[in-house]
Amino acid sequence: MARAHRVAAFTLTLVVLYILALFSFVPVPFIDVNSSHQILPLIPWWLLVSFGSYSLWCLGWGIFTFRDCPEAYHELLKEINDAKNELRTKGVTVD
Amino acid sequence: MQGQYNTADTHKYSVILPTYNERKNLPIIVWLLAKVFREHDLAWEIIVVDDASPDGTQDVAQELARVYGEDKIVLKPRAGKLGLGTAYMHGLNFCTGDFVIIMDADFSHHPKFIPQFIKLQKSYNLDIVTGTRYRSTSTPSLPDAQPGGVHGWDLKRKLVSRGANFLAATVLSPGVSDLTGSFRLYRLPVLRHIISLTESRGYVFQMEMMVRARALGYTVGEVPITFVDRIFGESKLGADEVVGYAKGVWSLFTTV
Repeated sequence: MARAHRVAAFTLTLVVLYILALFSFVPVPFIDVNSSHQILPLIPWWLLVSFGSYSLWCLGWGIFTFRDCPEAYHELLKEINDAKNELRTKGVTVD
Repeated sequence: MQGQYNTADTHKYSVILPTYNERKNLPIIVWLLAKVFREHDLAWEIIVVDDASPDGTQDVAQELARVYGEDKIVLKPRAGKLGLGTAYMHGLNFCTGDFVIIMDADFSHHPKFIPQFIKLQKSYNLDIVTGTRYRSTSTPSLPDAQPGGVHGWDLKRKLVSRGANFLAATVLSPGVSDLTGSFRLYRLPVLRHIISLTESRGYVFQMEMMVRARALGYTVGEVPITFVDRIFGESKLGADEVVGYAKGVWSLFTTV
């Protein structure tokens, strides 16, 4: 079973439960009918906005914490030089 | 875990280096690898899988075999440019070690991280260790790991990279922070198993190997690495590659 199938099955279950609750076929436990009628229709939009906010946060934080490594670059250039010098003495064609 | 080899740590490490027109880079990467392995007293070999490079890469490989030993630098050429996945499969046929390291030959991956890969693998008995450019610490924890990073990327490139990773992480939940990375240490039988199941090409191939490994239950650790991109020249990323990447993520989502 691929990941897509697992995700689809899980989502379908949740959607069915949501629709049943939305059209009052099934009552939501611990919450009275009036409150649930006010809240339930808004849940999809809430999910969308929450996901959007989370995504933007992840991207922003990711960019902010992205490390540059100039020291690695300079160290590498030096090592390339050392390598070339040593290999030349051993008869390997470099450059 | 104990290995079967008559070496200092009872293991042997094979590096598979697919090459195409790497005449200038190959001697230096071999020098860096040899230096690291010697300093850490590790048994090693490098399998050079060259896809009929017209620039004389194979001649340089033979010179290096003369200097370092025919048992250390093993040249196994192929008739044409046949792609990365098949290069690894070809190289695997000639590995005499019990661990395989795959990496790029263009200095973006530095051999100095290999001892840290090995240390993490031994500490936690992992099947796979992968390098990550996006973390500052290793998972599981290794006290002397240095923070990772990238050199040579502008803001736009970083944004694309983070976006791509976020997409893959959300859709695939792969459990590793750097999914397209190709600097990895594998147990030989694990690599053989995963490669036999992998179907995609290019960098999606690297992603698929990691996603399949996780799905099969293999243990994976990450070590932060510094990635020096395109030391000679500019790093470019086109729209085609972006679309190809999205398609790759989707195909992994629906098949694994």
